[in-house]
Amino acid sequence: MSILPQLIANSLIAAGTYALIALGFNLIYAATKFFNLAHGAMATAGGYAAFFLLQSFVGINVVLAAALGVLFAGLLGWALDRAVYRELRKRKASNTVLLVASLGVFTVIQAVIAMIFTSQFQTLSGGAADSVYQIGGAAVTETQVIMIAAAVAIAAGLGLLLKKTLLGKEVRAVSDDEEVAKIVGINTERVIGWVFFIGSAIAGLGGILVGFDTGLQPTMGMSLLLRGVIASIVGGVGTVYGAAAGALLLGFVENFGIWKISGEWKDAIAFSLLIVFLVFRPQGIFKR
Amino acid sequence: MDYFIHLAILFAIYGILGLSLNLVVGYTGLLSVAEAAFYGVGAYVTALLLVNAGWNFFAAMGVAVIASAAVALVIGLVLSRFGGDYYALASLGFGVIIYSIFLNWQAVTNGPLGIPAIPRPDFFGYVIGDEASYLVMSLVFLLLVYVVSRFIVRSSFGRAIRAIREDEAAIQVFGYRAINYKLLIFVIGAGIAAIAGALYASYITYIDPSTFSVNESIFVLAIVILGGLASLRGSLFGAAFLVLLPELLRFVGFPDTIAAQMRQAVYGVLLVVLMLYRPEGLTGEYRL
Repeated sequence: MSILPQLIANSLIAAGTYALIALGFNLIYAATKFFNLAHGAMATAGGYAAFFLLQSFVGINVVLAAALGVLFAGLLGWALDRAVYRELRKRKASNTVLLVASLGVFTVIQAVIAMIFTSQFQTLSGGAADSVYQIGGAAVTETQVIMIAAAVAIAAGLGLLLKKTLLGKEVRAVSDDEEVAKIVGINTERVIGWVFFIGSAIAGLGGILVGFDTGLQPTMGMSLLLRGVIASIVGGVGTVYGAAAGALLLGFVENFGIWKISGEWKDAIAFSLLIVFLVFRPQGIFKR
Repeated sequence: MDYFIHLAILFAIYGILGLSLNLVVGYTGLLSVAEAAFYGVGAYVTALLLVNAGWNFFAAMGVAVIASAAVALVIGLVLSRFGGDYYALASLGFGVIIYSIFLNWQAVTNGPLGIPAIPRPDFFGYVIGDEASYLVMSLVFLLLVYVVSRFIVRSSFGRAIRAIREDEAAIQVFGYRAINYKLLIFVIGAGIAAIAGALYASYITYIDPSTFSVNESIFVLAIVILGGLASLRGSLFGAAFLVLLPELLRFVGFPDTIAAQMRQAVYGVLLVVLMLYRPEGLTGEYRL
């Protein structure tokens, strides 16, 4: 049996996860121009919120628990923008200050989650075992199918949202030039609030699906965040399709990379890809 | 009493790390999140030479400093091309790659099991075995590093790196190759961090990769920012404060498992609050 179909499937699954993180990260970067390192913690928070609901209300509908987890992550992102990042923007803080502050936020959320849920590995499950499908010689679980479908749907949906709706136009205006957007009467703080809500909610969904697929750990946010950041930069920072393309490339490079060398080197492979791009093509695949 | 000596030794080690990182972040304005990598290279090289080759501690430390500086030279060649937020991201990437080498290069580093039974230093036949004399030795190294750092920042080289921090383009006009200065200070910082690594390895007598993760880099960054960017005394104060902080928390009565998370939460909050109200740190002269 050939290993190739499974490798391709694994690459697509990984790409789906990374895209869910990268899409929100890129959206937030486009609107605010800073690297929000706390973004990974939104995924962790979403995953644990769903875990909490499934634990404390036995018999709760899995989809409902997941939806509430997504909502929680979105609200958390919005609240952090209000409490921390908006205050920093008011003080005309540099992007680096925002980056360091988001690093602090990340550390706090991770620690609080570890305090409440311990550092142990937890698995999310909806009761029934994950059914496994055989597709063209590759074994894929139901969660993984949902993951890929969700990533594709959300990338397309986000693209449409930005293109067709009024909010989308406002987001693009703020991304192009916040000052000018303000002058033409756009309430930029409201738009940025929405961007944080939407971006964080998508990350929350990513965290929940990872929880169903492999499990939850308080420290998972960092590795998810780093994958999201790499996908964003490789694809082209601040563009929707860039995030998706970057995630796809990263998923394939990682999984085909560990075909020949052992799996523990995934992190190193991912970062090597980032550094190659930073050196040779810092604007990413799609230039903004 | 032993307990206070233990804390004082930790203070000396983190003081050295703080001084080293302040040269890069505070004086040159390059937000490096890779400090733990060089701390780790120092610790691993020292430990391997002591355990496997039976070298003298001070000779091993010397080689560790050179090894760390050499690694920094290679990394710095790539890193020095960047500035601002991209510098932070790329350095984070290198930090993760080096960490994954500690974790996965089993043949040399013994992977997650780490290296046990590292001997204490032998100073011309006198074994620095007890805690009190180890403290004296650590403080001597701290003083040495402090004096060297002070010399560096007051020299013409020190003025040049500060000028790069303020305006990289302007100093290029005066004929300084900014990239060389950025590279050199990064290499010096890495060499100094290796001293701290050597002291740590021989003091604890056991090292494993978890000590040199990204979290440790964030911790040292918190020391530097809290104490003050571009303030050497500030870094010493920051180290003292953040080393003592978890002990204070313990006195308040948190159990040990929570206290470790509490430490993280508190320095995360500290980073956020500092960014909001005092981005130059308590005694610093430069704001990010």
